[in-house]
Amino acid sequence: MNPVISVRSLTKTYHVGEHQVHALRSISLDVYPGEFVSVIGPSGSGKSTLMHILGCLDQPTSGQYFLDGRDVSRLSDDEISLVRNKQIGFVFQGFNLLTRTSALENVELPLLYGTGNVSAAERRKRAMAALKSVGLESRWDHHTNQLSGGQQQRVAIARALLNNPSILLADEPTGNLDSKTSIEVMEIFQSLQRERGITIVLITHELDVAAYGSRIMTFKDGNILSDVANDSRRHASGELESLPVPAEGVL
Amino acid sequence: MVVPNALVIAWKALRRNRMQTALTMLGMTIGVATVLTMIALGSGAQKAIQDQVKAAGMNMLLVTAGNYQAQRERPPDDAIEMGRLHNPEVEMQPHLQLAMFHPEDDPFAVHDHPTSRQRLGDAEAGLGAAATLTLDDAEAVRKIKGVQYAVEGVHENVHVASGDTRWFTRVHGDGSALPEIRRSWKFTHGGFFSARQQRNKDQVVVLGSIVAEKLFGDKSPVGETVTLWKQPFKVVGVVTSANWMVTPEAGDDQFDAVYLPVTTMQSLLNLSKLNDITVTTESTGDVTRVAKTITTVLRSRHGIDSNHPDDFTVTSQASKALLKGGLRPDVAQAVTGNVGGLEKVTLDQLGKTLDKSSKTMTALLASIATVSLIVGGIGIMNIMMLSVTERTREIGIRRAVGAREKEVLMQFIYESVTLSVVGGLLGILIGTVAAISISHVVQWSTSISPLSILLSFGISAAVGIFFGYYPAREASRVAPLTSLRFE
Repeated sequence: MNPVISVRSLTKTYHVGEHQVHALRSISLDVYPGEFVSVIGPSGSGKSTLMHILGCLDQPTSGQYFLDGRDVSRLSDDEISLVRNKQIGFVFQGFNLLTRTSALENVELPLLYGTGNVSAAERRKRAMAALKSVGLESRWDHHTNQLSGGQQQRVAIARALLNNPSILLADEPTGNLDSKTSIEVMEIFQSLQRERGITIVLITHELDVAAYGSRIMTFKDGNILSDVANDSRRHASGELESLPVPAEGVL
Repeated sequence: MVVPNALVIAWKALRRNRMQTALTMLGMTIGVATVLTMIALGSGAQKAIQDQVKAAGMNMLLVTAGNYQAQRERPPDDAIEMGRLHNPEVEMQPHLQLAMFHPEDDPFAVHDHPTSRQRLGDAEAGLGAAATLTLDDAEAVRKIKGVQYAVEGVHENVHVASGDTRWFTRVHGDGSALPEIRRSWKFTHGGFFSARQQRNKDQVVVLGSIVAEKLFGDKSPVGETVTLWKQPFKVVGVVTSANWMVTPEAGDDQFDAVYLPVTTMQSLLNLSKLNDITVTTESTGDVTRVAKTITTVLRSRHGIDSNHPDDFTVTSQASKALLKGGLRPDVAQAVTGNVGGLEKVTLDQLGKTLDKSSKTMTALLASIATVSLIVGGIGIMNIMMLSVTERTREIGIRRAVGAREKEVLMQFIYESVTLSVVGGLLGILIGTVAAISISHVVQWSTSISPLSILLSFGISAAVGIFFGYYPAREASRVAPLTSLRFE
């Protein structure tokens, strides 16, 4: 099987004043379709830089990055935009939804860009389907500020999934959520991996969140410290069932 | 494919910031509304000036019987020729072109002795009492190309009586087309007598508003009978001034007067001649040519050979009209004070002056319009620049989900164009309403041409593109990563 992500000798160096910061020091890694990779490490370890390069939001200083077998590290801006539109889905810590805009319109957003003209009715249909898959179809007309953190993150996930990307990149997706909603979001990720076979790369600095992945990669000082399969994997669906039902208003 | 999507995106983005959108549009709306109203009022004022100048008689010629220019005696043999008089504007008759004087004469002496007046030839000159014009002359003038109306005129003084009330006033025997020439007239009651009444020599009369007031007070005199020369006349109308610059006054020649068909007056007074013929030309620029043609036609009709002067006088009404036809006395005084010999001011010069003043007006309006549009445009640019900084995060989100630089650029350009065009359309609406209501309130004529509407629309779109481009380019250059980090 060909890897969906293949990185060879990737380096990224920032210049901060006189100093050079080596965020990534010659990284090589492969991610295969259907994997759920948790990338863990302290802040400044280079994991966020990796995620930005994997998500085509940033360019590496040197090295190669193959996405679905195609070297995307030297593409033009227009081509990279199309890659972000079709092949990559993002979920951020801060949700990054458009304010004063309904959930539905936020989810529709990727369909307004990229190639192919999608009719308004078709956009709406597909966005509703995506909202339904994260269980928010009844809140489609709510503005983002009328939704809870967990609901906002689910809207973001629906948006990320709209164009059926080959990889889903999540940067601290539970950073702003309480433990129960964190588990709910992880449940969505695990079911996406299980049912749709989506490749997920999850960046986190919390070990117990990383434990939901099938493979754990540890970063330190711009190097991969360890890269192991997760033997003691947590399963969010089981944990949700065993949670005590909280009283209304606690959330 | 990209264009409609970008428009949809822009529209949604504008809807998200309703307050900001509304305020920015308001700036543009006020700008365009101001421009449109200014243009409407300005061109209305221009038109009003032109109308009033026309009403005052810029295209009018007056052919009077008689000639104030005396025929000179043949100069003595020992007279010294001083040179040839030359006036490029008026073609002088050959016998008047030689400037001569006798060595014994003092050229500056004033000849006030009765014999000198005799030498000037009162009888031949006529001095207004001459009877040289006929109805047939008027008919011949009417047939000249470029002549719009030719109206015969016989003028006398008369006692008008209604019952015991009498009023001494002017009486004008005129053709039925007179109201077409007197553009500043309006009829408060009835109307002017008809061509048919003129042909039938009916005893009908139109009263000036002063006469009507003196004889009948506030009552409508139409249908009443007044007596002139002990003959009964039926009143068919009352005329007054429609021009705000001219108020009817006792003693004036237009409204302290009565009007009869010229035929009626001629047969009653046993006259066969006219005092004058009032002529209007179809175009203002044609007056000089028509004046020459009239001279030629009348000279040949009157059998005058080239050695004799005209027995009539053709004068343009422009100077006369400026003095009494339309201007307030103080304004007229200022004008005559500035222009030494107003009689010498030609129609061309007057036309040029008017042209110049209307060009000044247009330049003034254009500069006001430019300033308001630039202010509106800078308002849009300001908001768009702010908005780029404020919406860095939004731009980052859009870039992360796949928006290309070009698509971000187009979104922001569409936003500013939408702001300016929708603002502009509202401005056109408000400006039109404002111009119409102003013209109703102030009784000023305004004219909104489709061209000025089209122009306002085009300019507002251009302003949107021009002032929106720079902020849009800034927006499109925001790197996706920096904008996502932006909190």
